[in-house]
Amino acid sequence: MEINAPFPYLLLPIAYALRNRIKRRERGDLLRLLIFGGIGLFVSAALFAVAFWVTWQALDYEELGEYLVRLSLSWLFLVFLSFLAFSGLVVSLSTFFLSDDLWLLMAAPTTGRRLFYSRFLRTCGQASWMVIAFLLPALLAIGMASCASPLYYVMASVALPSFVVIPVALGCAATLLLVNVFPARRTRDILLLAGLAFTVSLILLVRFLRPEQLFNVRSLPDVTAFFTALESRWTPFLPSFWVGETLFTALHGQVDWLHLGCLTTTAMAFTLLLRIAFDRRYFSGWSKAQEARKARFTRLRWIEQFVRRLPFEPAKRSLLLKDVKVFLRDTTQWSQLLLLLALAFVYLYNFHVLDLSQIPYISGLVKSAYAFLNLTTAAFILAALAVRLVFPAVSIEGAAFWIVRSAPVDMRSFLWIKFWTGLIPTLILAETLTILSNEFMGADPFLKAVSAAAIFFMSFSLVGLAAGMGASYPRYRADNPTQVASSFGGVAYMVLAVLFILTEIVLLAWPTSIYLWHFHRDLSLSPNNLARMITAFSLATIVAVLVFWIPMRRGIRALERSEE
Amino acid sequence: MIELSEVVKRFGGFTAVDHVTLSVAPGEIHGFLGPNGAGKTTTIRMIAGLLKPNAGRILINSHDLMLDPTAAKRSLGFIPDRPFLYEKLTAEEFLRFHGGLYGLENRDGLSDRISELLELFDIASWRSELIESFSHGMQQRLVMCAAFLHRPAAVVVDEPMVGLDPRGARLVKDFFRRMSRKGMGILMSTHTLEVAQEVCDRISIIHRGRILASGTVADLRALAQSEDHALTPIFLKLTGGEGLQEIHETL
Ligand SMILES: Nc1ncnc2c1ncn2[C@@H]1O[C@H](COP(=O)(O)OP(=O)(O)OP(=O)(O)O)[C@@H](O)[C@H]1O
Ligand SMILES: [Mg+2]
Repeated sequence: MEINAPFPYLLLPIAYALRNRIKRRERGDLLRLLIFGGIGLFVSAALFAVAFWVTWQALDYEELGEYLVRLSLSWLFLVFLSFLAFSGLVVSLSTFFLSDDLWLLMAAPTTGRRLFYSRFLRTCGQASWMVIAFLLPALLAIGMASCASPLYYVMASVALPSFVVIPVALGCAATLLLVNVFPARRTRDILLLAGLAFTVSLILLVRFLRPEQLFNVRSLPDVTAFFTALESRWTPFLPSFWVGETLFTALHGQVDWLHLGCLTTTAMAFTLLLRIAFDRRYFSGWSKAQEARKARFTRLRWIEQFVRRLPFEPAKRSLLLKDVKVFLRDTTQWSQLLLLLALAFVYLYNFHVLDLSQIPYISGLVKSAYAFLNLTTAAFILAALAVRLVFPAVSIEGAAFWIVRSAPVDMRSFLWIKFWTGLIPTLILAETLTILSNEFMGADPFLKAVSAAAIFFMSFSLVGLAAGMGASYPRYRADNPTQVASSFGGVAYMVLAVLFILTEIVLLAWPTSIYLWHFHRDLSLSPNNLARMITAFSLATIVAVLVFWIPMRRGIRALERSEE
Repeated sequence: MIELSEVVKRFGGFTAVDHVTLSVAPGEIHGFLGPNGAGKTTTIRMIAGLLKPNAGRILINSHDLMLDPTAAKRSLGFIPDRPFLYEKLTAEEFLRFHGGLYGLENRDGLSDRISELLELFDIASWRSELIESFSHGMQQRLVMCAAFLHRPAAVVVDEPMVGLDPRGARLVKDFFRRMSRKGMGILMSTHTLEVAQEVCDRISIIHRGRILASGTVADLRALAQSEDHALTPIFLKLTGGEGLQEIHETL
């Protein structure tokens, strides 16, 4: 017997899960909705405003402006084309080959075609939602700024889906090939590294291109040169060009049948070809994906030697060793650290090229303000790192937590180990960032000292807050740390962390400015001012210690009280 | 070794374990039987310190689990029904880690003990493989190694035979018997009545969270007023065999 329902039937579980999730509200749903919804709305509005403004300005330049709009459309879509192909590759690996419910579906008498279409639709959706969310406000703004007719919006809604299908189909095809050659578990590691390289190179490219020069009005001819460079003789064969042209023509109230036709027929042809390819090779690939070949892994003997020497009790030492090993063997975990290092590099590079000394009229005040901006940035990076690495530390024990909980280990030692493993790397990174950037900038010695001390205390607080709140709001059933980080507790952590950082900055900036004001005028500090400074610095320290101490205690208590 | 008195566990308004009193003497293998959803796993998790009872007292090796959890847990080995392990550790690393949690170190002969147990449970050749490549039965064997690693005074086991091959099942049964002869108290939940009949000194039957009966197989037979030698009819009679009739009719 075969089911006769059309393929969307296979997507029903997603719909049911969503419905049940909405029906059964969880604590913090509203807060999360408000925060994420607010951020989403804000970003969309900002995108809309920027796109509207840029189009509006560009159209003032008549011919040149039109050319610019046209080129930017094509350029924008080119970037998305590569992004979509890549995320199609990654997403299809999990939707077609690794997802758990495939065990059920593959065993059921569903036809391959139905499975293919339902999964392909899901892949397209999962791979493209970010691009679509970005494009919708931007395209809307472009249309409204050029007073486009309804035809433009109709064209956009036809052209966009076709545009998404083409690169995602290519990504799926690449996955199919890869999976037939390598076992899937290794493929995921390879893909992760590839994705990382992709992101890092994108960051570096943007950095070295120095797009800030684009804002420079004098260099307008350079802008066109910049775009022309992207236009090679291959461009007319790319779907990004077709969609750009279709939309551009539609802005003028006409239909570009040629490019629209290219787009839709290619999308259909690719889907069909992909289906044929899946008909032939899907089952063999899927079956191969289940063979976890004896993975190679690092033994990490030296870490073992090192940890053995630490002056801890055996239980703590064991926990520490386990955490470090699991972390280092999990590619998904440390590969994100690499990304962060790349970001840190870009950050430092900024200060390197900034070279404040070349600007003669820059005042000490601006420099000090910059040092505090710098401190704030480092603290935010620290918070972002903590929410991703330290906050999920308790949750990722997950289904294996019974081992620790049925062992004679008190939760205090357990959480403290989580704290220390999180603190050491983040502290090193934060101190390096702060000290080096202040060095590059040539900040005042007093400022350097204050920043270094402040980031030291803030590391303790932010990591303690993350470890403590992670224990108070655990998510043992989450699939990955990112999911934990975006749970209610993670969002609440970010909110508290931002409040904490701002409080600290105010408490530090005030006494520092008093000091610097007197110092640069060669005045001595009055006892009154000295008292103010000491009060502010002590307050900053007290807040930092409390933010570190209270959550840790609450976290330990929550762990002691918790049941799974 | 293990003593429960009037233990209650509620999930919301639902009482999963209802005033359960149970005791396992040193050297005794105590079978814990009951239909699906009767409350076996819940009871065992409370003994392992994973769930907190709403009422009642649990003593392990005369340490109160509420008052002195560390001492109580140190005397207990726990084998869960679904063994989730750290997939990124090797078998040996996992056992070392586990030993560390119970305060064992190399100078206490941890390495020898690990080798001995891995040998005994027949997974020594897998000692340096990542756990993620282990089969269900191999993981089960590894968990047993871990549970006995620190020479506990008492052990609780939730369905030990699931996933084991006949050889493994035989091995585990023999091992349990040997350990009990050395004075270890073992509480074992199982659905395999033959196993219960074969290895258990005493048996408790739990149904809808309440202990229906407790005693030797002979005691239970008398209680059920059954002539049968096998445990299955006794079990069905005690827990109410209503469902079976319906099955016959549906088929
Ligand atoms: N975390 C939980 N939340 C709510 N109810 C639960 C939870 N865990 C168990 N229960 C309920 O408690 C009852 C007893 O479950 P338990 O797992 O102890 O049964 P069991 O005797 O081990 O059954 P089985 O033989 O199927 O393993 C069941 O009705 C179950 O629905
Ligand atoms: Mg059970």
